[in-house]
Amino acid sequence: MGRLSAPATSPGAGAAPAAVPAEPAVPFVEIEAVRAKEFVPAAKEALTALVAEQGQRKLIQPVFNWAGRNSLFPLHWGLACCAIEFAAAFGARWDAERFGVVPRSSPRQCDLLIVNGTVTWKVAHKLVTLYEQMPEPKWVIAMGNCATGGGPFRTAYSVVPGVDKLVPVDVYIAGCPPRPEAMLDGILELEKLIRERKE
Amino acid sequence: MSEMWINMGPQHPMTHGLWNLRVRIEGELIRDVDPEMGYLHRGIEKISEDRHYNEVITLMDRCCYVAGLAWEHLYIRAAEQALHVDPPERAEYLRVLCDEFQRLGSHLMWYAAFVQDLGLMSPFLYGMRDRDLVLDLFQSYTGARMTYEYMRVGGVRNDLPPGFTASARKVLDWLSDRFREYDQLCLGSTIFRKRCDGLGVLKGPDAVHHGVTGPMLRSAGVKRDLRKDRPYAVYGQLDFDVAFADGADVTARYLVRMEEMRQSVRLLRQVLDWLDRHPGPVIAEHLPRWLGAPYAPIGLEGYLLKRNYPKGVGFSAVEEPHGEALAYVVNEGGEHPYRVKFRSPVFANLSAARTYLVGYHVADIPPIMGSVDVCVGEVDR
Amino acid sequence: MQPADLEQALRPRLGEHLLGVEPFEGTAGKVRFDRSAAVATFRALHDELGFTHLAMIGGIDWVAHREVVYTLWSDAAKQYVFLSTTVPADDAHVESASGVWPSANWHEREAWEMVDITFDHHPDLRHLLMPDGYAFHPLLRSFKLHEPEELEVKVRHV
Repeated sequence: MGRLSAPATSPGAGAAPAAVPAEPAVPFVEIEAVRAKEFVPAAKEALTALVAEQGQRKLIQPVFNWAGRNSLFPLHWGLACCAIEFAAAFGARWDAERFGVVPRSSPRQCDLLIVNGTVTWKVAHKLVTLYEQMPEPKWVIAMGNCATGGGPFRTAYSVVPGVDKLVPVDVYIAGCPPRPEAMLDGILELEKLIRERKE
Repeated sequence: MSEMWINMGPQHPMTHGLWNLRVRIEGELIRDVDPEMGYLHRGIEKISEDRHYNEVITLMDRCCYVAGLAWEHLYIRAAEQALHVDPPERAEYLRVLCDEFQRLGSHLMWYAAFVQDLGLMSPFLYGMRDRDLVLDLFQSYTGARMTYEYMRVGGVRNDLPPGFTASARKVLDWLSDRFREYDQLCLGSTIFRKRCDGLGVLKGPDAVHHGVTGPMLRSAGVKRDLRKDRPYAVYGQLDFDVAFADGADVTARYLVRMEEMRQSVRLLRQVLDWLDRHPGPVIAEHLPRWLGAPYAPIGLEGYLLKRNYPKGVGFSAVEEPHGEALAYVVNEGGEHPYRVKFRSPVFANLSAARTYLVGYHVADIPPIMGSVDVCVGEVDR
Repeated sequence: MQPADLEQALRPRLGEHLLGVEPFEGTAGKVRFDRSAAVATFRALHDELGFTHLAMIGGIDWVAHREVVYTLWSDAAKQYVFLSTTVPADDAHVESASGVWPSANWHEREAWEMVDITFDHHPDLRHLLMPDGYAFHPLLRSFKLHEPEELEVKVRHV
């Protein structure tokens, strides 16, 4: 992430908190951790300087990506078996919240749809509705074999053979069900994707 | 005040799965409910007709995903009766071991999800932490956390790894200390008591009439437990009590599940002692060759054997963590079952939703439905 | 309770509509009855013999005819019993058991939807697991499964 690191020297107000590396194609911003009261004016000053230097678009996008990938809010929606492993990833042992991943119950507050289980034709249009209700930008993770391609139920008359028939999928996670480690790995893969996002 | 129907689901934090509770409300008062199921209907009964007997086990794990081994046990017992196979005794003990650990795992998952619904976050973390210990044990001898594929027609796949019983006892010791903490967290909490006492009352005769089974029935004072009433596997040789309560409300269901976990620990200690003292084979020796390896080339002789294998019908009843589960397997010769039919306890418990929800308030729905312990996979199959 | 006991108890009430009681391992027996005496059979088992718990109703498609199997449990005898009746495939209907056991409601909805057996006088016979208007009955033998075809779903925004 654009690091929120402990300040190396004095964390006083007015310390120049931003530095733009010249080399990477997608620049990112480093902001030193200061107290909230001091952060706002410091950040404002740094951003204003950067806007003047680089133009608005080039700057705002990395900040968006940085903020977005560190606070992915998945929709709290359990479909099938994978939902139990999804819940286990938020339990004490794996603690997915340390990656900024917090499940929310309303699609209006979410930017990540984790399809954790078998999608049937009966639920298909509800899934699309929920996806449409989520504000942009949004991502979809197909968790497990059922969401990826129907899994052991692909021949069944009621099962959608892969959720990518309904919504665009960014990351597929294999496993039946994937272990919580695999789910966290999928989220980190998604963070990589977001980091390189340009539009 | 005018009445209206509202949908709670299929995406709602109350549902714990994929179903829709349609509620007719007048103000805050529930006048009528109509659960709408089928969002997770995966056609397991139909797919089973296309599979070898041992391949159906894969589907059983996914049928009830919090109690996979209990459903494997259910199916295996029916399939063995249909195919005229008898498992060795050690396999029966191993199955009881699976069943009871699965009961612990399922009830801990229920505890974590249920108490979180009431607004208490820390029990979720404790419940998941302790459930992971049980899953670690499963992982050590089946290789998987949730979908095990451990049982086979005629026995189980493999024996326990060395040192398993010692680590299992350690987990049981840890767990039996934790139950007291759980009780303190819940029964000592005013929030919990105010949201649970006297809610969702379903009296004994009504419960029997509507086909309700499992902890919901036992919390209404009816002592029906298939492990005691119709002992299968080796439950007849083990010593345990049937947990039951008289309150018939949400708190009573909590108490019954907690007591069941204590009884499971008691059962498991006996099973582990037996397993330590009696080594032996874990799968029947004289299995039909085609049953042991579905895809092995078996030649003309094997083919004829398979064609002439005696027909049969199997039936089994297992006290699953959610209640009474039944399986009916029809063997008409050949390598696939002709028809497989399952009875899911949650299916019946949900179909009675009208009896224990009408008359309460909308805010009472999460605790009441949480106490039902819904697992949609087995309802829709 | 043995098959002979069941036959002895049911014969006076059902007469020739009782087609026989077969032994079935693990249960009290399998009672075969004629569908014209369905409610009388249900009443006799529920009221007289104490089978107050209806556990499961399942339909089996035998191509030429269909079989409905009811599984009952008695708390007093601590035993299961099967009831079984056959209906011809072109006229598959039987009287509903939901007047005797309310728990039959959902089981019968499922049997109707999956095996196409109509239950007369059912309070609410509609789809349970499949969406409304689903035209097939998946658990019939004539319904075949196949690998999914390549399909393209067009999402229509409304």
